[in-house]
Amino acid sequence: MNRVLLVVSSAACLFGMDLRGADARQIVEESQKRQQSQSQRYEGVLEVTQATGKKSSKRWTYERNGAFGESKSLLRFVAPAEVKGVALLIVNHPDRASDQWMWTPELARDRRIALQDRSTRFFGTDFSFEDLEERDLNQNDYTLLGEEAMEGKPCWKIESKPKQTKSSQYAKVVTWIRQDIYVAVKMEMYAKNELVRRLEYRKIEKMQNIWTPLELEMADLKKKSKTILKTEKLEYNTTLKPDRFTLDALRRGE
Amino acid sequence: MKLLHLISWQYTRKHGLRTVLTMVGIVLGVAVFVGMHTANQSVLVAFHKTVNRIAGATELQITAGEPGFAEEILEKVQSIPEVRVAVPVIEASINPKLKTPGNILVLAVDMTGDSSLRDYDLDDGGEAVIDDPLIFLAQPDSLMVTREFAKANGLAINSKVSMETMQGPKTFTVRGIMKSGGLTSAFGGNLAVMDVYAAQKVFGRGRRFDRIDLALQEGIGVDVGRKKLEQILGPGFQVETPAARGKQFESLSSVYGMMANLTSLFALFIGMFIIYNSFAIAVTQRRKEIGILRALGATQGQIQTLFLIESAILGLFGSVAGVALGVLIARGMARGLGDFLGEIYGVAQRADELSTDTRLLAFSLALGVLTSLIAAWIPARSAARVDPVQALQKGRYQQLTTGENRVRAVAAVVFAALAIGLAMVGGGPFFFYGGYLSAVVAALMVTPWAAVWLSWMLRPLLRLIRPVEGALAVDSLIQSPRRTSGTVAALMLSLALVISLGGLTRASYDSLNQWMSVGLNPDLFLSPSQSISDRSYHFPAEIVDQVKAIDGVRTAQGVRTVRVNYRNEPIMIVTADVAAISGEAKLPATAGLHEDMYPKAAAGEGVILSDNLANLQKLKLGEMMELESPNGPLRLPIVGIVLDYSDQKGTVLIDRKVYMEKWKDDTYNVIRIYLKPGADVVTVRQALLERFSSGLKVFVFTNKDIRDYVVKITDQWFGLTYIQLAVAVLVAVLGIVNTLTVSITDRRRELGVLQAVGALRNQIRQTVWLEAIAIGLVGLALGLGLGAIALYYSLEFTARDFAGMRLEYKYPWAMAAFLLPVILGSALLAAIGPAESAVRGSLVEALEYE
Repeated sequence: MNRVLLVVSSAACLFGMDLRGADARQIVEESQKRQQSQSQRYEGVLEVTQATGKKSSKRWTYERNGAFGESKSLLRFVAPAEVKGVALLIVNHPDRASDQWMWTPELARDRRIALQDRSTRFFGTDFSFEDLEERDLNQNDYTLLGEEAMEGKPCWKIESKPKQTKSSQYAKVVTWIRQDIYVAVKMEMYAKNELVRRLEYRKIEKMQNIWTPLELEMADLKKKSKTILKTEKLEYNTTLKPDRFTLDALRRGE
Repeated sequence: MKLLHLISWQYTRKHGLRTVLTMVGIVLGVAVFVGMHTANQSVLVAFHKTVNRIAGATELQITAGEPGFAEEILEKVQSIPEVRVAVPVIEASINPKLKTPGNILVLAVDMTGDSSLRDYDLDDGGEAVIDDPLIFLAQPDSLMVTREFAKANGLAINSKVSMETMQGPKTFTVRGIMKSGGLTSAFGGNLAVMDVYAAQKVFGRGRRFDRIDLALQEGIGVDVGRKKLEQILGPGFQVETPAARGKQFESLSSVYGMMANLTSLFALFIGMFIIYNSFAIAVTQRRKEIGILRALGATQGQIQTLFLIESAILGLFGSVAGVALGVLIARGMARGLGDFLGEIYGVAQRADELSTDTRLLAFSLALGVLTSLIAAWIPARSAARVDPVQALQKGRYQQLTTGENRVRAVAAVVFAALAIGLAMVGGGPFFFYGGYLSAVVAALMVTPWAAVWLSWMLRPLLRLIRPVEGALAVDSLIQSPRRTSGTVAALMLSLALVISLGGLTRASYDSLNQWMSVGLNPDLFLSPSQSISDRSYHFPAEIVDQVKAIDGVRTAQGVRTVRVNYRNEPIMIVTADVAAISGEAKLPATAGLHEDMYPKAAAGEGVILSDNLANLQKLKLGEMMELESPNGPLRLPIVGIVLDYSDQKGTVLIDRKVYMEKWKDDTYNVIRIYLKPGADVVTVRQALLERFSSGLKVFVFTNKDIRDYVVKITDQWFGLTYIQLAVAVLVAVLGIVNTLTVSITDRRRELGVLQAVGALRNQIRQTVWLEAIAIGLVGLALGLGLGAIALYYSLEFTARDFAGMRLEYKYPWAMAAFLLPVILGSALLAAIGPAESAVRGSLVEALEYE
């Protein structure tokens, strides 16, 4: 699994299960299983710090319906006023890349985010559209590189490489997983052999029995900028109407 | 070299003024050639640069003519495995009315994926060029401008810029400033980038794109990718590399290039006669020198080479000066051409940098030298054949021998017969241009004889004016046909050109007026752009009903004009409700019947072509016309051919239903409005402006506005012709100055004798003046005659190869009448200098001459 998931649940559900000594794939598979939830909702704050030190901040609400691999997510910006109402609908598929549509209320129209555009930056943040996707773990090959402590906690260091059939901007992703709670604490993404992005998970807390990082920091090492995502009011397994996750609903601004 | 220094240089130094005047023909010819071609080249290079800079990493571009295509095509293209990235594009040229004069190019793209193709942030890893990409996308008023443009107009992030939109003038916000280099230097830096979906609204494009720019997967060749895309998209789409896109623009500006060639060739042709004349005179004047050289052992070859080298040097100096002058005038011409193409075709382009092509300059130099060499060939040959014994004897050598006259007469008859024969055979270009050339050669052959004959005819008239001076002046011409014939020929050719172009201009204006009175008969025109030829903005379909509902409007007809490719030529589709249009205006038919063609076209059972399209594409009534569209080919028979001068490349009238079905485009770019009887144009115009003032961008033109606009465009077009006319007349007048200068020098002894036997200075002066007037009159008579033939060929050429337009033959008598005082006045002016030199010279020196 090479995908870095922007949404907190995704980061948590990557890994799980007590599999010390097991192979890398099993670790990842169990991690997914442990982090599974039927739905999720939170409010997020995005803070982008450019190389010059200039900062900008945005707020959004995030909702996910459905379990990992076949979920549908809706991300809607609520502040500042200029971007209020801009929304992104992500329909994930277990066997292929997700479908993504963006809604801009001022133009009153949606646009499809093409598969080819997934490597581009997600609206000026240091995440890419690809980083928002959930993908089938069968599309990657995993290698256990060894064990390494992160902030005093023993971690597995796992390398994932996309299989030939899958297209990704990343040649490989190296992930550090805490062995005690099976949650990723750090990811490093490589394009060809160059480290291009680093994602760190912080403030890991148990929320409704799921270990969840409440703060993520993505650094773009080429642009020397970083984006911090803070989550608030996080809820798992909440009731969400399925018809909220459709293109029509997106257009209605629901 | 020694001979050159001893003989030629001394002669040239002695006749400095004449040498300069002889060179001027070459200077002007080369200057016009270099100027017009450099201007054309600069505009083309600027266009290519803009295309390339905007293209960025784009490998292929997909277009479907001006109407563009539906958004769905984008997904189709993006799903092709060979395509790595495909992004939609809308391009428009608008005038934001800022400090920077002229238009800016608006490049509308989908910023989510476009950075894969175009580099907006040019400093690696530096600050993002857009202040906030999400706000840029979320706010449809977002603009990104170049640093140069921002600086020139005092713009910064969050500055406001007012732009016309389909919803009326709107304020846009600068949300990004692109750093210098690459993309930002396109269109001279006058570039703004906006979101493609916002642009659809701003320019009224509906859910359509102009173009898709794409890059292929690694390892996929451009040819492979293109073939795959063509196969999937079908023939209604053009899949081309960005470089190939320039071809259409080249095609549009090719008419101008042709005009440039014609103008400069005419100037050079006339210049050639002046050189011929000067060298013929020089050979006569230098017979003594030649005789001495021959007596001292110089071979015929050496003499001929000497004269040819002289002419080559003259040609070289003239060409160098011509090139320099051409480059100087090119900048102004480039600006004019850019505006002109924008006005006529709605394709805006700025040529802020002059693009000088060294090959063009080298070619121009060679052309000038070659012209000079050709012109000097016959005089050089006669110099070589000079008999040393005869040459050393004094006497007159300006007469033509009986043998020469006979040869010329026979040649004239042969060429005239050939011209008539070829004109009667007609058909292919060989016969046509061969016929034209034969007619000109016949006229040139007959010139010396005709000049003498006309001079005899003039003798009584001039004697009537001034008995002594008149007779002397005419006798000088009669006795020296060799000296005069070159100038007369040059004047004849110039005037023939003036008459043919004048006739063509008049015929064009007459035809346009006829067409306007029939085709452009609505009372008002509603346009979304300030310029009626600009097709950047479109009206929505519902506007026609909204216009019809306005008080005073009897009926309104929506028209959509789009340029599409037909046999690699950008022709114009005119689409409208044919039944409604034909109810108000039926253009004169050249093939087919009105009562047959319009109902068929209205029923979608045929198309009506403009006469010029039919001529240019060799299409005939009843033939099947096939136009490629994004939704499959449109095959319809040609049910009529009409006189329509809307477009130089030709128009095809298609009913709106058919067009919408094939192009899926329901927009309009002009609404033709007819008023109820008694309705006031000003009141309805005001009502229209008020009706749409808040919701839609509209410009209302009265019938007179449109007619004035057409006349303005035509004036602009014929502005180029006037350059031709001016060059032709100027070169011809210079020829007169040259001939008279030579005549004075040649007759110094004669004039000296006249003064010695008591002739007054004024009499000498008047003799020279009258000689100039005689040359002018003879040239006028021959020129106006040859002009009648040239006009026939010009009209044929226009119909066959230029614009396909068949224009009525009408001899421009007014122009001929205008030329009479102009040429006689010019001749008189040209005579002032030589006349003064004739009376101010030393009498002793004059008597010692020869």
